[in-house]
Amino acid sequence: MMRYRIFSLLIFLIFPGLAEARIYLDINAPTLVQIPITLAKWKAIEKTPPSLSERVYEILTSDLTLSGFFKVIDVSKLPPLLKDREGIPNTSSLPEWESSGGEILLSGEAFLESDGLRLRLKFHLFDLIEQKHLVGKQYEGPISTLRTMVHRIADETIYQLTGENGVHNTKLAFTVTQGSAKEIFIADFDGANLKQLTNNQSINISPVWSPEGRRIAFTSYLRRNPDLYLIDLDGKNLQKFSSFPGLNASPSWSPDGKKIALMMGMEGKSEIFIVDANGKNPRKLTKSHGNEASPTWSPDGQWIAFVSDRSGSPQIYIMAQDGSNVRRLTFEGNYNTNPSWSPKGDQIAFCGRVEGSYQIFTIGSDGSGLRRLTSNSGNNESPCWSPDGRYIAFSSTRTGSPKIFIMNANGFNQRSLTSSKGGEKSPAWSKRLD
Amino acid sequence: MARKIFLLMLLSFCVGFLMTGCPKKTVVKQEPSVTKEEAARREEAARREEEARRREEEARKKEAAIREEAARREEAARREFEKSLVAKKEPGVEGIVFESSLLKDIHFDFDKYDIRPGDAEILKENASLLKKFPNVKIQIEGHCDERGTNEYNLALGERRANSTKNYLISLGISSDRMSTISYGEEKPLDPGHDEEAWAKNRRAHFIITSK
Repeated sequence: MMRYRIFSLLIFLIFPGLAEARIYLDINAPTLVQIPITLAKWKAIEKTPPSLSERVYEILTSDLTLSGFFKVIDVSKLPPLLKDREGIPNTSSLPEWESSGGEILLSGEAFLESDGLRLRLKFHLFDLIEQKHLVGKQYEGPISTLRTMVHRIADETIYQLTGENGVHNTKLAFTVTQGSAKEIFIADFDGANLKQLTNNQSINISPVWSPEGRRIAFTSYLRRNPDLYLIDLDGKNLQKFSSFPGLNASPSWSPDGKKIALMMGMEGKSEIFIVDANGKNPRKLTKSHGNEASPTWSPDGQWIAFVSDRSGSPQIYIMAQDGSNVRRLTFEGNYNTNPSWSPKGDQIAFCGRVEGSYQIFTIGSDGSGLRRLTSNSGNNESPCWSPDGRYIAFSSTRTGSPKIFIMNANGFNQRSLTSSKGGEKSPAWSKRLD
Repeated sequence: MARKIFLLMLLSFCVGFLMTGCPKKTVVKQEPSVTKEEAARREEAARREEEARRREEEARKKEAAIREEAARREEAARREFEKSLVAKKEPGVEGIVFESSLLKDIHFDFDKYDIRPGDAEILKENASLLKKFPNVKIQIEGHCDERGTNEYNLALGERRANSTKNYLISLGISSDRMSTISYGEEKPLDPGHDEEAWAKNRRAHFIITSK
């Protein structure tokens, strides 16, 4: 997708004596403490317009805030940082910075080359408590990639402090209601770059990302039958993929990309099938009298979680990928649907009904540790995980018509994604696209 | 002795000849009276035949009148049916289909797909209409209300469409005249968010794909 290259350059390795990166924040802890981070205003080098460095600063502040891992300290009253050697500011002589409350300092500068096309962004991370330089990196690329470059810096910051990559260069796909039509849209993880992929006035539902992250699969009623289609991220190259009479819906690629689990109609009811990656050779996996829906693969490719109402009410079940070893996962409540297997494999998020409203839960894939994540008014449905497993996107009617929301995987930091017109549903998170 | 035997044989032969010859002569003698009876019978038969022909003719006329009346009624029903048809071209969907106000929707309880007794009566009416027009092919749409999740509602809509189809099959409608489609919660009739709207939206709807 990206035709440009962004060059990154590690300016300084971690100072001698620090053999391995320290984990400042355990993101898997059940209760999360946010790291106070001080973001120094970015400098505009030479003839670089100050508006450009301000833009970098804004995107970076937004990225780090949205990540949910940081408390961003207000720096408006702090004195300017002074340069020390190699462009690294010296903070030891600045008691105001030390006492700002921040534990980590991020400073940087933007340099736009005289041709006005190439941009260089340089940043440094410091541990303010121990007065240590943690990392310095420089990114270089066309000015058109500014946002992506800043996302990289945010990801690098998260990597340095948590030991795991962030999700700043990921996108979400979802449906947007437009009158009687539903169209597929995509947007960046922070809601930027909202883009309409389909524009056919039909009903287009349940988008998912293809394994390589370059196409979206979805179900459309274009032929008066719910068929599966694939479309490129520029909205071109619409391709019919699975069009058996009856349902062809809710596809889920196996982690190796070779198989697709999906809902198909068979003898008057919905069943879980597996087809080859080309949409051919359907094999039926489920054999009950109930309705089966919403298959999702385990990250090791061995298991499929799905919905079945074989016991009288819809519940989450797990089966081996050949349809054997079926076991029921959820026992609480009488409406549990929309399972989504976490990228680390230990959790399954789902939508459960509680006293007439629909809420997001997680449960261990062994059935232990049921946890409710949403409690706001309104219905919360269709959870899906970010590729790093740190966030869950879902749709919520808490502010009126359904909108896509994102929260940390422990339920903290719930926020809406976009401000598109029309009801938004069925989010799907891409893998990292850089 | 031999001569005696010969004479006896000759005698018996003559007697046998006389005996076999006699009935023939009797029949010929009685012939005039038999013809008279036969003529009367024939006359009677002809009269009866004429009567039957007359009755048959009457019946035929009556039948023709009934047939004509039936044809008139059929034609009127056909006209009524034709009149009830509304062509439907939906944006973003291939082809043109028809809807008829004579094929009535049925409705379902929340989270259920069984046919309620009152709705069974509606299906009987729909079935008798379909029997009158054997060339008509329909698609049965299964719909859900907005509550619950989209994918499970697709499964529920599939089941609603098919339980409707199965009920019509039990009423004698051939399965090759009926296809099904699930819209889940994606095509509400009433955009509202209350019990009244939900009850309207949990439905099986009929469209005519070929008339």
